[in-house]
Amino acid sequence: MQYVLRKMLTGIPLILGVTLVSFALMVYFGPDMTYQLLGKNPTAEQIIEVRHQLGYDQSFIQRYLAYLTELIRLDFGNSSSGEPVRSLLAKTIPVSLILILPGFLLGHILGVLLALAAAFWRGRWADKLIMAIAVIGMSVSFLIVIIAFQILLCSSDGLNLFPVRGWNVQSLPDYLSYIAVPTLATTFVALGYETRFYRSVFVEEMTRDYVRTARAFGLSSRRIFFRSIFKNCLIPIITRVMFSIPQVAIGGSLLIESYFGIPGIGKATYEAIITGDQPVLKAVVSLTAILFVFVMTLNDILYRAVDPRVSLK
Amino acid sequence: MNAADAPAPLLRVKDLTVEFRTMDGIVRAVDAVSFDIWPNETVGLVGESGCGKTVTGLSLLRLIPSPPGQIINGSIELEGLDLLSLDAGDMEKRRGSEIAMIFQEPMTSLNPVFTIGSQITEVLRRHRQLSQRQARELAASLLAKVSIPDAGRRLDDYPHQLSGGMRQRVMIAMALSCNPKLLVADEPTTALDVTTQAQVLDQMRELQNEFRMAVLLVTHDLGVVAETCQRALVMYCGSIVEAGKTEQLFSSPRHPYTAGLLASIPRIRAERIAELPVIPGRVPDPGNLPAGCRFAGRCSHVQSRCHQERPTLRSVNGNAVACHYPLGADI
Repeated sequence: MQYVLRKMLTGIPLILGVTLVSFALMVYFGPDMTYQLLGKNPTAEQIIEVRHQLGYDQSFIQRYLAYLTELIRLDFGNSSSGEPVRSLLAKTIPVSLILILPGFLLGHILGVLLALAAAFWRGRWADKLIMAIAVIGMSVSFLIVIIAFQILLCSSDGLNLFPVRGWNVQSLPDYLSYIAVPTLATTFVALGYETRFYRSVFVEEMTRDYVRTARAFGLSSRRIFFRSIFKNCLIPIITRVMFSIPQVAIGGSLLIESYFGIPGIGKATYEAIITGDQPVLKAVVSLTAILFVFVMTLNDILYRAVDPRVSLK
Repeated sequence: MNAADAPAPLLRVKDLTVEFRTMDGIVRAVDAVSFDIWPNETVGLVGESGCGKTVTGLSLLRLIPSPPGQIINGSIELEGLDLLSLDAGDMEKRRGSEIAMIFQEPMTSLNPVFTIGSQITEVLRRHRQLSQRQARELAASLLAKVSIPDAGRRLDDYPHQLSGGMRQRVMIAMALSCNPKLLVADEPTTALDVTTQAQVLDQMRELQNEFRMAVLLVTHDLGVVAETCQRALVMYCGSIVEAGKTEQLFSSPRHPYTAGLLASIPRIRAERIAELPVIPGRVPDPGNLPAGCRFAGRCSHVQSRCHQERPTLRSVNGNAVACHYPLGADI
C-alpha cells in the first residue's frame, strides 16, 4: 500500500511534464478562439472582453496554474459548445470502454491461447497454420479490415447482419449487434501481432535451463509447458497487456469510433482537435497521463504477484 | 565395491553416435562412443569444452535438443533395457526415477518462479504415489540430508534466495528424491567456489553410497576426477581416447592427449615454472575432421601412420587407449 502511494507520487512529475508540454503546444500553436466566437465584425472592446473570458490576457504561467487547478478539481469548465466537459466525458468514456473492452480482451486472450498452441506444437502444421494467419492479420491495414468487415457483414452487398453506423443501445442484444463488427475488426488485427509476440515469448522460454532440468526429472512436457513455462511468461504478457491499455484507449477507439459513427471519447477528442476545443483537449490529455501512471503502477504490482524476484521498494 | 560384486554392468553404452544438423552441415558431436558403468560406481567423463562429453551425458537421458540433434546409431542399455527403443512417454517415466541428471548452472537450472519445495514435491509426486503433505515431509527430509539448515522452512524459499552451493544441493536432493540407479552429473561443481565444491562433492559421495547409485561425472576438472572417480574416460573430439582406472590413468597415461591434459594442471607445490605447459594447436573443426587420428595435428609423437589411419580403443597395460603409439608401452 505504501508502495502504491509512493509510486503514484513519483507519477506526479510525469503528469506535470506531459500537461506542461501539451499545454504549451495548445497555447502557442492552437487556434485562437476569439474570432470564432465573435463572428465577422467585433469591436475592440468585445475582443478584449472575450480574450479576458478565455484567459488569453494572462501570462502563460498563470494560465498553466489555472489549468492545474482545474485538473486537481477535475473540473475542466465548459467546452466550446457550452456543454460542461465533465458531462461530456461522463457520456463518452463509458461508451468507449464497453466498445473497446471486448475486442481488447479477446485479442489478448485468443492471442495467448493461439500462441500457446503454436509454441507447443512448434514446427508442426498447427504452428504453421496459426502463424500464417497471424501474418495475414498483421499485414492487412486496419482501415482495410474495417471496411472489408463493414461490406461483408453490414451492407446489402454482404450478409447485412449488423448496423454499420451509430449507437442506439437500449438492451444487451442492441449492444452486441453494435459492437460485433468493431470487435471482430480489432480482434482480427490484434491477433496477428499478439500471437506472434506471445509465441516468441513462449518459444524463448522453452530453451531455458530449468526446462531441461524439469525434463531430466521426468516431468511431462505438457505439464512443464503449461505450468512452469507459462508462469515464467506472465511478466512479458502482463507488460504487453498493460502498456496496450493507454494505446487502445486513445488510438484504437478513435479509428473505430469515427468509422462506425459511435459517440465515444475517441471521436469527441478528434472533433475537439479539429475545432480547437481546448477545454476538452486539456481534459483528455491530462486524463491520459493519469491513466499511464496508473497503469504503470498496476503493472509493477502485478509483477510482484507473479515473480518472487521482483521486490517493491 | 564396484565391478566385482555385480555380474552385469548397470549401464552399457555401445557405439553411441550423435549428430547435429547445423547451418554448416552435419556435425558429429559424439562418434561411436562405448562404455559401461557398474552399479554404485563413479565414472569420470573428462575432456575439453566441446569434446562431446555433455552431449554424451544428455544422450543417456535422451535429452538432446531435437531438432537439431539426433542419436543416429548405437544403444544405451540400462539394466539390459535399451533406452533408445522406448517410446517418449515410457522414457519420460524413467527420467528421474531410474536415471537422473543434474547440471552445471545452479543459478538457472531451477525454475525461478516456483518455491524449491514445490519443485521437489512435483518431482516426487510424479514418480511416487504421495499426498501433498507426505511429499512435502519427504522433501524436507531430503533437504536436511543434503545439509540444508532449517530445511522445513527453506522449502518455501525461491531459488534466488539460496546461494549457489545451496541451489546445487537442492538439485542433488531432487536427484535423490526418486532414488535413481544412475545419476549423470554434468559439471555439478564447476560454478561453485572451491570450498563449496569440496563440500558438495563429499556430500555426493556419501549419498551415493547411502542410496547405492552410480554416478557419471562429466567434468573438465581432472582434480575432481582424481578425488571422486574410480574410473575415468577421456574424450577428445567426440570419441573416447583413453579409459581406465583413475589412479593408473593419472599415474601412467598412455594417450599423448591424456598426458598433455595432466601436464597442464597447475600445481601449487611444484617448483615455479615460467610457463604452464599447454597442448599446442587447436581442436579440429568438428565439421571438418581429419581422416586419421583426430589428435594427430597437436600430438608431439605424431608419425605418418597417425594421419592416415584412425586408431581404435585397445588395451595397453590395463588402460584402453586409442593410439597407434601409446606412451610408455612396448610395442
